[in-house]
Formats: sequence, C-alpha cells, structure tokens
Amino acid sequence: MSSQAVAGSATLMRVARKEMTEMFRDGRFRWASAMVLCLITIATLTGVRSYKALAAEQQAAQTAMRGFWIDQGAKNPHSAAHYGLWVFKPKMPLSFVDYGVDNYTGVTTWLEAHKQNEFTRRPAMDQAAVARFGEWTAAAVLQMLLPLLIIMLAFPAFAAERESGTLKQLAAMGVPMTQLLKGKALGTAGALSVVVIPATVLGVLALFLSAGFSRGADDIIRFVSMVAVYLAYFVVMLAITLAVSARSRSSRAALLVLLAFWSVNSLIAPRAVTDLARRVYPTTSSFEFQKAVAEDLTSGIDGHNPADERRKVVEAKALKEYGVLSVDALPVNFDAIAMQESEEYGNQVFDKHFNALYNQYRAQNGLTQLGGLVAPLLAVRSLSMGLAGTDVEQHRDFATKAEGYRRGLIKFSNDYFRDNTQTGAWDWKASPDVWARYPAFAYDAPTVKAAIAPQRRALATLGVWFVLAMVAFVSAPVFRVD
Amino acid sequence: MTALDALTLDIHAGEVCCLLGANGAGKTTTINLFLNFVAPTSGEALVCGIDVTKDPIGSKRHIAYIPETVMLYKNLTGLENLEYFASLATNETFRREQLVEFLADAGLRPDQVDQRVGGYSKGMRQKVGIAIASAKRADVLLLDEPTSGLDPKASNEFSGLIARLRERGAAILMATHDLFRAKESGTRVGIMKHGRLVADMQTADIGHADLERLYLQHMKD
Repeated sequence: MSSQAVAGSATLMRVARKEMTEMFRDGRFRWASAMVLCLITIATLTGVRSYKALAAEQQAAQTAMRGFWIDQGAKNPHSAAHYGLWVFKPKMPLSFVDYGVDNYTGVTTWLEAHKQNEFTRRPAMDQAAVARFGEWTAAAVLQMLLPLLIIMLAFPAFAAERESGTLKQLAAMGVPMTQLLKGKALGTAGALSVVVIPATVLGVLALFLSAGFSRGADDIIRFVSMVAVYLAYFVVMLAITLAVSARSRSSRAALLVLLAFWSVNSLIAPRAVTDLARRVYPTTSSFEFQKAVAEDLTSGIDGHNPADERRKVVEAKALKEYGVLSVDALPVNFDAIAMQESEEYGNQVFDKHFNALYNQYRAQNGLTQLGGLVAPLLAVRSLSMGLAGTDVEQHRDFATKAEGYRRGLIKFSNDYFRDNTQTGAWDWKASPDVWARYPAFAYDAPTVKAAIAPQRRALATLGVWFVLAMVAFVSAPVFRVD
Repeated sequence: MTALDALTLDIHAGEVCCLLGANGAGKTTTINLFLNFVAPTSGEALVCGIDVTKDPIGSKRHIAYIPETVMLYKNLTGLENLEYFASLATNETFRREQLVEFLADAGLRPDQVDQRVGGYSKGMRQKVGIAIASAKRADVLLLDEPTSGLDPKASNEFSGLIARLRERGAAILMATHDLFRAKESGTRVGIMKHGRLVADMQTADIGHADLERLYLQHMKD
C-alpha cells in the first residue's frame, strides 16, 4: 500500500469510529436498536415455538393417520379409498423466520377417492382484514423496521454536518471527502451490527432449537443465502440513505425524502403491486373453481365427452382385451377398471384446473417480483419466502407430490379390487394386511437450487437496486459544503 | 455581480491582517478563495506558495480555518472533538496528554476537556478551534469573525491566543466587524468595500479614533 492509501484507510477508520461513538451515545439509537432487536427476538421465538408445536402436532397426526390407514381392517378396497387420509405439509426449518404464504394456503389436505381437495387449516380465514398487513414475523421486522432504523441512523450523516458547518470545517482541513463518505458508511454499518450480529446468532440458535439442521447442508445453504439477501438489502438501504443525505441541504429534507421512500417501499408499493398482480392475472373464487371442475367431470373436459359415453368406450376396450363378449364374463372386476378409468379422467380435469390456478399464481408472483424495481422490499420478500420454503411454488411442490400420492393410493386400491374380484363384488372385503402394502407418505422438500429457480426476477431486481444504490453512493456530491 | 475586484493581498509570517468592511464587502469571499470554496475568475490564490485551485488538499495542509462559531460534535467531548479534527487534518495519532496540553494552551480548564461539547459556551468552542489549529501546526490561519458574539473577556482571551500563534510565525487573516479588536490584535488593517481593498495600513501607525474615522469615511459614499 502506498503511504497515501495508508493515510486514506486511517482517515476512514477515524471517521467510522467517531460515527459509532456518536451513535452509541445517542439515546434514540440505543432505544430504537434495542426495540428492533427485541421485536426480532420475540418474533423469532414465537416462530420457533409455533414451528415446534406444529411440527410435533403434524408428526403425531401423520403417524396416527398412517395407523388408521393400516388398521382399517377387512374392507372393500373402494371403501378404503373413500376412507382416505390426511397429509400435512411439513414446516420448513426456516419458516420461523418467514411464514410466507403458509397461513393463506393451508398446510393440510384430505386425500380421498375421486377428488383433489383444496388445502385447509388456513389461519388467514379466521382473521380480520387487518391481518393483511402481515404477521409480526422476523422477516417483517427485517424487511420493514430495519430499513427504518437505518434511515433514522444515517439520514443526518451529511445533511446535519452540512447544516451545522462541521462539513465545511472538514473540507477546510483538506479531509478527502470520499474517505469521509466511506467512513460514515462503515461507521453506520458498525453501529447497525449491534442489531444484525445478534439477530444472525439468534437465527442460528433458533435453527438449532427448532429443526436442528435436520435437512442438513440444504438448510445451511438456505440460511446463509437468506443472511446474504438481507445484508444486501441493508447495504442498499444504507447506501441510498447516505446518498440522499449527501445530496440534501438540510437533514429535515433528507428525512422527508427518505421517509417517503420508506413508505413507498414498505407500505404503498407492496399493496399496490399485489392488487395489480391480482387484477392482471385474476384467479377464480373457490366456489367457481369447484363448479368448473364438477362441470368438466360430468360433461368432459371439452364438453363433448360425457361420463356415460366414456364408460362405454372403457367397456368395449376391456371386452376386447380379455376376448369376452360380456362384462359378466370378464375374469376381473370391471367396476374397478371403470373406477380407475374415471379416476384417471378426473386427474386430467384436476391437472387442467389446478395447473391453471397455480400458473396464475406464478404469473402474479412474477409480476410482484418485477415490482421489486419500484420497491426492493418486494424482491427481498419473495427471496425470503423462497429461501424459507414458504412460497407458493414450494407449496405447489407439496400439493403436487401429495396429489401424486393420492393417485397412487387410489390406483393401488382399484387395481387390487380389479385383480382379486369380479364385477359387482361390492360386498367383498380385502384382508386387513393389504393396506400396509402401500407405502407411507414421505415428503422431500425441494433443494435450495430448485427453490431459487423461480426467483430469478427477484434476484435481478435486487441486483439492479444494489448497482443503482452503489452508483448513487459513490457519486454523492459530498464536497458541496453548503 | 463581482464579489472581489482586483484584490491584491499578501500576508507574511508573523502578520495578523484584519479585514474590515460592511456585510457583502467581500471579506468572507476572500477567505473562501483561500479555502478553494470559491474559484477565482482570474488571478490566483497562493498558500505558502501553493496554488489552492491546483493543489486543494496540499494547500489546506497549511491552513487552519476558524469560523464565527467553531462547529463541533455535541455528543463528543472537547478532547474527542480535538482528536477527531486534528488527526483527520494531520493523519497523525495524538496521545491524550498532547491533546490536553493543546486544550490547556488554548485556555480550556482540565475539568472541561472531558465534558461533552453540547454544554460548551461559544468561547469554549473557539478555544477548541484554536487548539485544533495548534495541533495542526498551521502556518496560515483564516478567521471569519471569530470573536463576534463573544463577551469582552472571552474576546480578549481570544486575542491573546491569536497573538501567541502570530509569535510562533503564523500568517493570519481575520475578517471582523470589531474595529477595536482589529486594532488590538492586528498588525495590519485592510478596509474592503464592494469587493475592493480600499485601504491597507499598519495598525502601529494609526490610533483607534483615526481608524474609526477612516472606516466611516469609506463607508459613507
């Protein structure tokens, strides 16, 4: 390093140290950071508690369900298929940070013959409209309150020094202004670390307490990525705050501009973009959805292929296959064949409607991620949910796998019914040991790579903000002394 | 509008040049010119032979600037303020004893140095400003109405500090409205009007009454 560079870094450290000293002595900073840290702690502990409670509850319920299924005794396979079972979406380890859409999508669904059910247990259904402002999760504190703390901390950085004249004195001493700018950034970051570092440690502890890294490396990568995303977000906020302060004549003006930005970022844009997405990519109501599904099941997907005609085609096909002339002459149970055929037709109908619905959600989320260009919070929110494993895409993954399990289960019972009986044997009962032959439901959550794939736009918009904030920061005209 | 017009001013080591003149006469502009806060449309400003527009950082190494009120960080103590400004200005690290000595030299009592500046009087702030200038070992002092608003005792103390810095060989330029103070601390007095230096004399050659009469005469037309 040249002597000039050494002098420069010494200046930087002196400025940073002085900024930190000033901030730590400021009662407002002490109170605000203690409060934010308190809120993060409470939110995290609440999250961990609800994780543990729910995880235990679901584990118990899932085991009980499997027990009921296995022990249903001698029974007609079709009755067993109707008996069905509940499956639960396992809480993701990081969901204690970010509940994501869990409260809106529900975490459990009833698997039974003939239909793909919607998810239930949606806490949002029991809440008043005010809950749309979101729960007090750690994610909400990090996304909304921490930027506010950054603004409160750094808005006077240059504006107040310009107002009071200390900036002029520093300029008169020949202090390199770029070092001053960097030193202030470093000092503010240092002061903020009294919130950020404990919060990160708390996150690691919480992860240990809740899931204990049960999913191994994937959880660690998710957690580290999440920390990186939030740090990038805070850096963007800090750079913008300092850039605005450096450009403002008075600290009051800087504060006004920054508070306006904060409200657009955390309050106005998220609501507006969500509403816009809903308008551009509308989804049908639950009632209309079910009506459309029922319509397609009876009169065929294209409306020209009603159920009774489909049955005739299946019958002809079966007779031809076994080389017999009547259903009664079939060596297998035709009722089971017909049921499976209708089941498979139904699956096409469900795929059509559920895919359309989920694709619409995907389009909405794509637009919301683009909204990150207006408000970086939207990009961060999306990434946070994605990494926590609580976004719509990962809900869809579970829904798809649960539905796959349901289809396998129904096919298992229909095939067993078909192969072991003949048509009309509705009174026949399968032996009690049959049910255990169909494996228990086990869910493998997507890897972090799969979770991040639908987040390209969010990553890109956060990247755009990062670059813009850096440019605004580096080009800040701090040399303007009054 | 012309702020300064054909100004020629040369201040040597050991000189205290006091600039008098009405508001808007160009006193502060002259100081800002040496600080490179305003650029001259023609001519040049040299500090210890260094052109301030060509080497703004280098020229400022020689300058200490004391405004009407020395602005300090109110959450830091007087000593911490001195340490911050002095170390930024010199890139040196100071020991506590050194800093206390600078402040004591500037007239701050030992029990005051560790108090937060938020509770300082204006006189105490100006003393910290002088301490910064001493720590910086500045060859050139630019003072912009440093005594306005000081009570006579504080003002008198301040003049004593200026005199000491002059004796150590500093070249001092001070803008002021205080004719008495100009006569007391200045070795030279210049009167400015509409950006021009209309009078320039040695204070030893002129009495209080004559200085006042001359000043008022210039202000009349």
